[in-house]
Amino acid sequence: MNLLSHIGKFSILIARAFSKPEKMKIFRRQLMFEIDSLGIGSMGIIAIISFFMGAVITIQTSSNIDSAFIPAYTVGFTVRQSMILEFAPTIIALILAGKVGSNIASEIGTMRVSEQIDALEIMGINSASYLILPKITAAVIINPFLVIISMFIGMAGGYIVAWGTGIVTTSEYLYGLEYDFKIFGVYYAIVKTIFFAFIITAIPSYYGYYTKGGSLAVGAASTKAVVTSSIVILLVNYVLTQLLLI
Amino acid sequence: MIKLENISKAFNGEQILSDIGITYEQGKTNLIIGASGSGKSVLTKCTVGLIQPDTGKVFYDDREFTALDSKSRQEIRTEIGMLFQGNALFDSLTIEQNVMFPLQMHTDMKSDEILERVNFCLERVQLTGVNHKYPAEISGGMQKRVALARAISMKPKYLFCDEPNSGLDPQTSIVIDQLISEITKEYNMTTIIVTHDMNSVMEIGDKVIFIHKGRKWWEGNSDSILSTNNKELSDFVFASSVMKRLVDKK
Repeated sequence: MNLLSHIGKFSILIARAFSKPEKMKIFRRQLMFEIDSLGIGSMGIIAIISFFMGAVITIQTSSNIDSAFIPAYTVGFTVRQSMILEFAPTIIALILAGKVGSNIASEIGTMRVSEQIDALEIMGINSASYLILPKITAAVIINPFLVIISMFIGMAGGYIVAWGTGIVTTSEYLYGLEYDFKIFGVYYAIVKTIFFAFIITAIPSYYGYYTKGGSLAVGAASTKAVVTSSIVILLVNYVLTQLLLI
Repeated sequence: MIKLENISKAFNGEQILSDIGITYEQGKTNLIIGASGSGKSVLTKCTVGLIQPDTGKVFYDDREFTALDSKSRQEIRTEIGMLFQGNALFDSLTIEQNVMFPLQMHTDMKSDEILERVNFCLERVQLTGVNHKYPAEISGGMQKRVALARAISMKPKYLFCDEPNSGLDPQTSIVIDQLISEITKEYNMTTIIVTHDMNSVMEIGDKVIFIHKGRKWWEGNSDSILSTNNKELSDFVFASSVMKRLVDKK
């Protein structure tokens, strides 16, 4: 199937998904479930990855500063900028594309091959809206919080390494974290995160929804969903960076 | 009553259904029989709108379903109950939640009224004490009954059953057949059953339609099917040695 055909089918599905939910009470219940499943359920892996990202950036930056003209607080500054501008929003999005994306594609794909989606349609329910809208909405709401938490944990990871190894003093590290701080960086990260949240829920939903066949097809849909979402995240990351930072 | 007029459908150039016209009667169990790949399931999916036919019309009473937009179709679908071959129960919901699902989505009933209706439907299909279990925790026969309870929870005007006996033992099959037949009369529904189980045909076939090579090949009832001169139908019916012996005895 060519790219244009995919884009067309994807657009039609998302338009159906964004129609008004049949019952707001049910939608709210689904939304809370998805916030818990997609967001809170990803906290552990996000915390671990963010901590070690901050720790590694601290060690790498410190070990690459040879010149006496470069102040030591550059380490804290670099950790902050890297975490806020790129690592927290983009790397976390890529991790979630794997974890959440495969989960969504296989869940919806299994519902398709076991006729559960047909059952929804026969009941007169807009299956796209019922299944996909709560996932997209949940991710768009919760992911910015996850990314902000990731930023803090990453910087805390750097602090603990600085304190534990002494490669940079904690006061210089903290000074670097505060140095020339511009809130725009956080806004930029949140804007990116909202786009990424849409991508990591909508694309896997699309692959899951149009699964044809049996369990093998569900596995294939899950793989395609993760690969496609990751590529689209990187492309959108480039476009948004170009638009927002230059 | 559901009426099909000149329904045709092809996939990738291969003709699956050709010019099929059928009237399914209200208050009766209308059975569609035919060999695997004859087009029975595609015909059913065309009837409920899961597949759009290439040509032809589908009428639900006087409403032309095929001419409606998706919103109007959804309204008609609230009058349809469907029992899927694989049951299509929602894995993440309990038995009780599965049966109450259509009621929660389409009615403004209070939760105690919904629960009352759910319990009534589960009792109607002779299933009690499983409300809080998940579909994976009950047997295939019980799952089929839950699916039937869910299908009738909205008091549908039309009931579709796709291979309701597949994967069931003969005794459970008879129970499911009897339930479908009784419920059809009770609610005065138009019931369409896709099957190749000849037991079902003989037990509950008020009207029987034989599909062969994508065409309506024969129409009659469970009495006339045994005396048919139609070769393809005879080959299908008497493929079972039990059926052969039954006729020989008679």
